[in-house]
Amino acid sequence: MPDNTGEMVPATIPELGRWLAANAKGDRRPVLPVGGRTSLGFGFPADPASVEVATSRLDRVVDYPARDMTVTVEAGCRMSAIQEALKMEGQRLPVDVPLAHRATIGGAVASDAGGPRRFGFGTLRDYVIGIRCATVDGRLFKAGGRVVKNVAGYDLCKLMVGSGGSLAFVTEVTLKLKPLPTSSAMGWACFDSGGTVSDLLGDLSTSRARPVAIELLGPKAARQLTAESRQTLPVGPLLLGVAVEGDPVEVEWQVDVLDRELRAGGAADVTWVRDADTKKLWSSLTDYQLGGESPVSIRACLRPSRTVDFVVAAIDAGVAVQAHAGNGVIHGHLPDETIDATTAEEMIGPLRELAVKSGGQLVVERCESGWHDALSIWGPPRGDWPLMTSVKRQFDPEGLLSPGRGIEAAMQQLSVDGMDQ
Amino acid sequence: MASTQPAPDGTVPVATELLVRFRRLLGDDGVLAAEDELVVYECDGYVVEKKAPDVVLFPTTTEQVSEIVRTCNEFDVPFVPRGAGTSLAGGCLPVGGGVMISLTRMKSILEVNLQDRYAVVQPGLVNLHLTRHLAGTGFHYAPDPSSQGACTIGGNVATNSGGPHTLKYGVTVNHVLGLEVVMPDGQVVEFGGVAEGLAGYDLVGLFVGSEGTFGICTQVTVRLTRNPDAYRTLLGIFETVGDATQAISQIIAAGIVPAALEMMDQGIIEAVEAAYGFGFPLDAAAVVLIEVDGLEVAVDDEAERIIRLCREQGAREVRRAETEQQRALLWKCRKQAFGAIGRLSPSYCTQDGVVPRTKLPEILEFITDAGERHGVRIVNVFHAGDGNIHPILLFDERDEEQIARVFRASDEILGKCIDLGGSVTGEHGIGVEKLEFMERLFTEDDLDVMASVRMAFNPRGSCSPGKMLPTAGACGMEHIERSHPGKQAAS
Repeated sequence: MPDNTGEMVPATIPELGRWLAANAKGDRRPVLPVGGRTSLGFGFPADPASVEVATSRLDRVVDYPARDMTVTVEAGCRMSAIQEALKMEGQRLPVDVPLAHRATIGGAVASDAGGPRRFGFGTLRDYVIGIRCATVDGRLFKAGGRVVKNVAGYDLCKLMVGSGGSLAFVTEVTLKLKPLPTSSAMGWACFDSGGTVSDLLGDLSTSRARPVAIELLGPKAARQLTAESRQTLPVGPLLLGVAVEGDPVEVEWQVDVLDRELRAGGAADVTWVRDADTKKLWSSLTDYQLGGESPVSIRACLRPSRTVDFVVAAIDAGVAVQAHAGNGVIHGHLPDETIDATTAEEMIGPLRELAVKSGGQLVVERCESGWHDALSIWGPPRGDWPLMTSVKRQFDPEGLLSPGRGIEAAMQQLSVDGMDQ
Repeated sequence: MASTQPAPDGTVPVATELLVRFRRLLGDDGVLAAEDELVVYECDGYVVEKKAPDVVLFPTTTEQVSEIVRTCNEFDVPFVPRGAGTSLAGGCLPVGGGVMISLTRMKSILEVNLQDRYAVVQPGLVNLHLTRHLAGTGFHYAPDPSSQGACTIGGNVATNSGGPHTLKYGVTVNHVLGLEVVMPDGQVVEFGGVAEGLAGYDLVGLFVGSEGTFGICTQVTVRLTRNPDAYRTLLGIFETVGDATQAISQIIAAGIVPAALEMMDQGIIEAVEAAYGFGFPLDAAAVVLIEVDGLEVAVDDEAERIIRLCREQGAREVRRAETEQQRALLWKCRKQAFGAIGRLSPSYCTQDGVVPRTKLPEILEFITDAGERHGVRIVNVFHAGDGNIHPILLFDERDEEQIARVFRASDEILGKCIDLGGSVTGEHGIGVEKLEFMERLFTEDDLDVMASVRMAFNPRGSCSPGKMLPTAGACGMEHIERSHPGKQAAS
């Protein structure tokens, strides 16, 4: 039962199922699945009447047949704990999850967490091969399985990745794994002009080296990265980082190739950071998206080739910015002096337009409480949104699971805005 | 409306008025309704069940597909999309007849954007034609089913197809960014797009592999993959199947992910050698085709490690493809192995089980036993690195008793895959063939949830009825036959 803080912490998955079933038949209180609490600020705020149902006690490694290169874990397992276990067998999940020591795999799946290595390795949707969930009325179901290739049944694993805990309560996840590389290196160079970087990124896309991450940072993000990593990185208007991983021979060869290519592309100097020294850089690059104390954090996705234009526009608007440049995924944080939602919307508006025009989208990931109504959280509607709400209704017809946080809230905001006009 | 008298098998023939409407929409050239022409469409690569559609349509635009679907709904007639018909599980079988929508005339490449690494194609485009079109650009489309010379991208989307190189590069769903879909009510909706990481539910990921039950995809935005800097292609030759599967297990366990890891046993080697004359040793129990790719500086090391592991597991010999021609021939032998089976038997049925990769030795032993117990000859050619087996059961479809034994052996093999923690299909799909296994793989709650998801897309159940889920799960389908029509045809 929920304790006096209103939180429910089931010890087992069947207990969770029974509680959800009882809630659905009885009080019908809104339910908010909670993992490591690193992404709860995403999107619209939760209904304050919600019972928080935490996965913290569902933290078993269910099965780790290392020679099959898969692992099955309960949703409440911390990302760092999972990675530690995999490391013992020379394996890893090559997906960067912010605040990995706090974040859980269930939360990472629900929020489709990712970071710089998405360029080389893809995202969680490429690694979740099996999933178990509880419906809001307590039925336990699964999809996929524990084998790396499987097309039996609908791929509800994909549906759950990024669903924000709004369709079902993720209880267990089976992941496909990759070998852990033995060596890594990151090269950093700075540039004055967006045009130079754009051309260089174009050239890098046919480099014989195969970077696993291509990061582009504005000056504010670069300063923070330099401070957090205690590395001496070049200083300039645009900081570009490329990372390679593999065995030492592969890494050294690629460092050589990329060093030449970066210099040929206009870099005055290239700073290389290697192996253990890259550790803090990786975590800073992954955590930067959370934005610390920034009043508003945004995420844009667009055609990769439009990344530099967007980054330059964001910097000009005073937004601190980090781009996973190879993927066209960009995180931005508005400055502390953004005084209200109207000012924020004025800064974001043109960037949103640019993202949409470039085949993508801009979403407000976090903002000050009370600003949600004045900001367009998800931006203009996309053609598949009505279908998404139909899917939501099938899972949760009464809207009890993470109510008001997901797609239905975005649709509602639009219809409210529509009435205002 | 013209006569709609039920046919002897209980299905409702498509009304004459409906045909008139379709001819007006598509021209005579876009409509097939004569019985002798429809026979071609009575089955796909899964030949033991047959059922001809009432009409086959060949739209050339999204608007036409949408209009066809709306018309079908108006007349309450089921419809099923079809690509090249290479499904090995009856994925294109028009259960209960109705309208078959062939997408083969929608085969254009609409856009290639190398800078943003995607291409936009129509669903009827043949898989290999995309990769050929990209030759010389340094990019390719990664999913490479063995039938890639015939199968279509739309069909690949429907079944989430794999292929030899999916071991390293992932299956179709890992390479689809966006879709244009004609929904079962005729609406045209776009899922995803050229940008990755769009907020909201991953309807692209959900649609891929839905076997035509969520709508008809009319445009696909696929991700393009860099060609590897270098590759090495090896052929391990083994005295026993056990040695070969152990070697495969050892390679994966050593943390090596080759680009492809494929096994062929003696039965198939014999047929392939007769067909293509590669020079396979006919006395070997199994050969393993291994391709490593990556940086030129690294591939030799990786190849050496693999050769060492193969030798430790008792490989008689490990050959290298020394020239591009040798490599191409080796891959031709593997990918066209199915074409050589005609030398062994008049008919065959390919199974598609999956086991955890360490269970390969166990499942292959079981397959041999099952073949012996039921008196069915079984040969094997499969994606060993993924644990995705393809036992090929040989028979003569004129002999009903043989067919019964093939069914029994198949059922046992797939049942064993489930017992070993695997699945009954890795890449071919459930189709109609494996419907009855769904209840063994999934609980009632699992299937209920899947059925409810389908309700969001296909509430009337008129789009690809009788596929994927063992129960119809939708109203308005009373007229759809749910028996196994083909078993009559095969007898």
